[in-house]
Amino acid sequence: MTRYELTQFAGVRRLLTSRWPQLGIQLLLLSGLILVILAGLLGSPVGNRNFAIVMVWIAWWGVLMLVAVPFLGRLWCSVCPLPLPGEWLQRGAILGPRGRGLGRQLRWPRIFRNLWGQNGAFVLVALFSLPVLTQPQWTAILLAGLVLLGIAVSLVYERRSFCRYLCPVGGFIGLYAQAAPVEVRVRDADLCASHKIKTCYTGSTAGYGCPWMVYPGSLTTNTYCGTCMECLRTCPHDNVVVNLRPAGADLNIGRGRGLDEAFKVLLLLGSGLAYAAVLLGPWNAPRAAAAAVGTTPWLVYAAGFLLFVVVLVPGLVALAVRLGLRLSRARLSLAQALRAISPAFVPLGLAAWMAFSLSFVLANLSYVPPVLSDPLNLGWNLLGTAAMAWSPYGAGLFPWLPVAVLVAGLAWTSRRAREIAGELGGGVRLAFPLWVVSFVITIGLLWALVG
Amino acid sequence: MGSRRLTGEDAARVTVGLLVLGLPLIVFGTRLFPPTLTLHARVSEDGGWMPDVVRARVGEALELRLIADDVVHGFAVGQSASPALDLPPGQTVRTTLTFEEPGTYTFYCTRWCGPNHWRMRGVIEVSGAAGPTAASEPPLYAALGIDLDAPRPTPEVPHGRPSASRGAELAGFVPETFLTDSAYLSRSPSEVFLALREDAATRAFDDSQVWDLVAWIWSTHTTKETIAAGAALFAQNCAACHGETGTGDGVMAGTIPAATMDDPSSTEPLRPADLADPARLLSASPALLHGKITRGGMGTGMPYWGPIFTEAQIWALTDYLWTFHFEEPS
Amino acid sequence: MSSSRPVRRILVLGFLALLGTAVLVLPSPRPTAPSRARTIRMEARSFEYLPAVVSVGRGDLVTLELVALDVVHGAHIDGYGVELTADPGQTARTTFVADRPGIFRIRCSVPCGPLHPFMSGTLRVDPSDTMLRAAGLALLAVAAGAFLAARPGGGMAQRSAPIVRS
Repeated sequence: MTRYELTQFAGVRRLLTSRWPQLGIQLLLLSGLILVILAGLLGSPVGNRNFAIVMVWIAWWGVLMLVAVPFLGRLWCSVCPLPLPGEWLQRGAILGPRGRGLGRQLRWPRIFRNLWGQNGAFVLVALFSLPVLTQPQWTAILLAGLVLLGIAVSLVYERRSFCRYLCPVGGFIGLYAQAAPVEVRVRDADLCASHKIKTCYTGSTAGYGCPWMVYPGSLTTNTYCGTCMECLRTCPHDNVVVNLRPAGADLNIGRGRGLDEAFKVLLLLGSGLAYAAVLLGPWNAPRAAAAAVGTTPWLVYAAGFLLFVVVLVPGLVALAVRLGLRLSRARLSLAQALRAISPAFVPLGLAAWMAFSLSFVLANLSYVPPVLSDPLNLGWNLLGTAAMAWSPYGAGLFPWLPVAVLVAGLAWTSRRAREIAGELGGGVRLAFPLWVVSFVITIGLLWALVG
Repeated sequence: MGSRRLTGEDAARVTVGLLVLGLPLIVFGTRLFPPTLTLHARVSEDGGWMPDVVRARVGEALELRLIADDVVHGFAVGQSASPALDLPPGQTVRTTLTFEEPGTYTFYCTRWCGPNHWRMRGVIEVSGAAGPTAASEPPLYAALGIDLDAPRPTPEVPHGRPSASRGAELAGFVPETFLTDSAYLSRSPSEVFLALREDAATRAFDDSQVWDLVAWIWSTHTTKETIAAGAALFAQNCAACHGETGTGDGVMAGTIPAATMDDPSSTEPLRPADLADPARLLSASPALLHGKITRGGMGTGMPYWGPIFTEAQIWALTDYLWTFHFEEPS
Repeated sequence: MSSSRPVRRILVLGFLALLGTAVLVLPSPRPTAPSRARTIRMEARSFEYLPAVVSVGRGDLVTLELVALDVVHGAHIDGYGVELTADPGQTARTTFVADRPGIFRIRCSVPCGPLHPFMSGTLRVDPSDTMLRAAGLALLAVAAGAFLAARPGGGMAQRSAPIVRS
């Protein structure tokens, strides 16, 4: 498997290392964020006519889930506006380093230096997802809250601790970025070994040390690299490069992953299935319960959701792993096996979220032009599309496009399961229960999205 | 102290500052100017029309921005010839109203938006010099001394459906006194039947033929177009409670609050009148029906349509109601 | 190493692809009932359709009645492009021929409240084997994935894969 270096072309390297293009996009997105928060608070309560709901949960989500993450990895994180105010205050600068900023740069507490915070944040947002997705004020408050949280964390803790340990979207993006065909890596590891001061991690006058607290010299997966390009700026030998690579190359690394990461894989897979069933499924009762936050039906729904994504799906997979271990007599503990095997479920999880997003985004994409014409619900018609009627797009692609996506994800997961089982010495007997549980989950997804 | 060169960082800071401060300012600014009156439409339980009182002056154009905040609503001014405006949720609809006469105008919602849809009304107070005012007449039921709420005696009811076309063949036998407006409007079909039955001119006819004559008398006081207009009004305004076939089982039928003025503690849900029940309709005169529609049900959940419909519209509705019992002329 | 491995891979993959195509395009073996005229009454209430699932036979002449129970609702049938809007008190009707088999989503086409984007029902035009076919494809996917798996030992080398510069 080979990698193709994109930064070998001087033009590409210049584009990525110059701060101005990145800042330009960041400012555009920051303006969008400000407008989203204002529109969410002040605009029409009708979700499908509110700039906040439509641009965040249809436009941005669609681009993120269907284009950015599967094909560009964590590129969104390099321009995401949520942490920017905090980061600028922390650094005391918007562009390159200018000495001390306002941040105290404390290290994130050791016991929290894992993914459990992100897992919890994701589940918390998921419990409130229905009002967030449908009521503009909830979206505005959530985003404003994340910005404020980002500022607070950035002023106390070092670098992008918020992004790395708290952001609910970050865990999601980082996980599935492993499937992407792009990466940031060092070209020559020996060169790094001979370089005394690791300016890629400590920073220099040319740029900041890795804001994601990653040492680029030993970067082997996309999970924690925010593709911010600082390391390209600080490495004096131009040894950090951006590569095109076979999709899912990170999923080949089965060792060195924590239980928190394994759990996140299964948590997100189960959440994808839960979202598909509740939001797009035929029953109204769970949906109505999910929307009525604070009532008893909502508590029942919340308990059910938590049970499903925290206990049922991870438990089912754990059972399958255990069965496989017993059948194959591989000499591993359950925890070891789970940690090694969980990357296999990443493609299926990504496929689940992509299939879910396809169904939802294409059906509602026609809400975007009206909202662009009248972003503040004042009766404007900037693009002439304010009265454009709703119509679902891509009806001809259904149901077979989501089916194709799910089937492809299942094939990839089955393949990875077999390969990892082989590497662990368990062979087909270890892989077989994994195939069964993947198949069952896929049927569940098909039924919710298609049947 | 020398001046320092402007750096990229300065430019970036200025830009960020402009965005972070400027965008909110612009957004707030656009909400204040231009100061067109914005009328928000919400279901009655969430506030209804906000505001629900609007002031205007005679002869001056009143510009309104209408926006529905939850479900589909509609806007119309009562007794106005202007067509109703549909308000799709979240879309701003602009309109300009001009009033020739001062007074209080009722505006109302024209698309069913819940059980309390008919309560979604507001007023436009138009001030200014009044022209010579026509004396307002009392509604017909008042002039005739009809008690709208009194229990009505059990009427005579026909077997089968009286037909105005069949009645037309025998029309020559109907005495002139039965054909006047006052005779038609003030008597229920049952009373007309009984009076006709007793009259010597109809001695040779059986009961069903006399009923056909009653139907024919009705048909002479209306036209096909009026009935069609009444049918449209019924479908848009009445069918949701009274049912598409008038049987009192419309989709909103179970939602009328139980307590009435007479019996505040009652929990029995009120049901809309079954207009297809002959005992109900055939005991009511056109004037009584006209009065019920105009004045409403006094706590029974039946809305009052006086400020909303014109006289012609209410008469068209009453004409249409008889089609639940009589066959229209073809 | 034997050179039959790549050939074997192509053969097996080709076979699986053939099976997959068969699963997709083969006509349904289930007997179809003769088509007839049907009237289906669907009630719409925020935010569901009652009944949520409507089944008709292929070729049926379907008259769909939409009855709105609380506010103005719509119904749009994916794939057929049929669209209705109903006010409470005014049943909306449309007639169409269900000539395409499958499972089609019915979506509300008139904003009717916060959960409007999720208000949906299902039209099944039998014989609709979509789920069965999709399940068949999923089975084939597991087989393909299992078969395509690289042998152990190949995975370790990938970590130090050379970076290519042209």
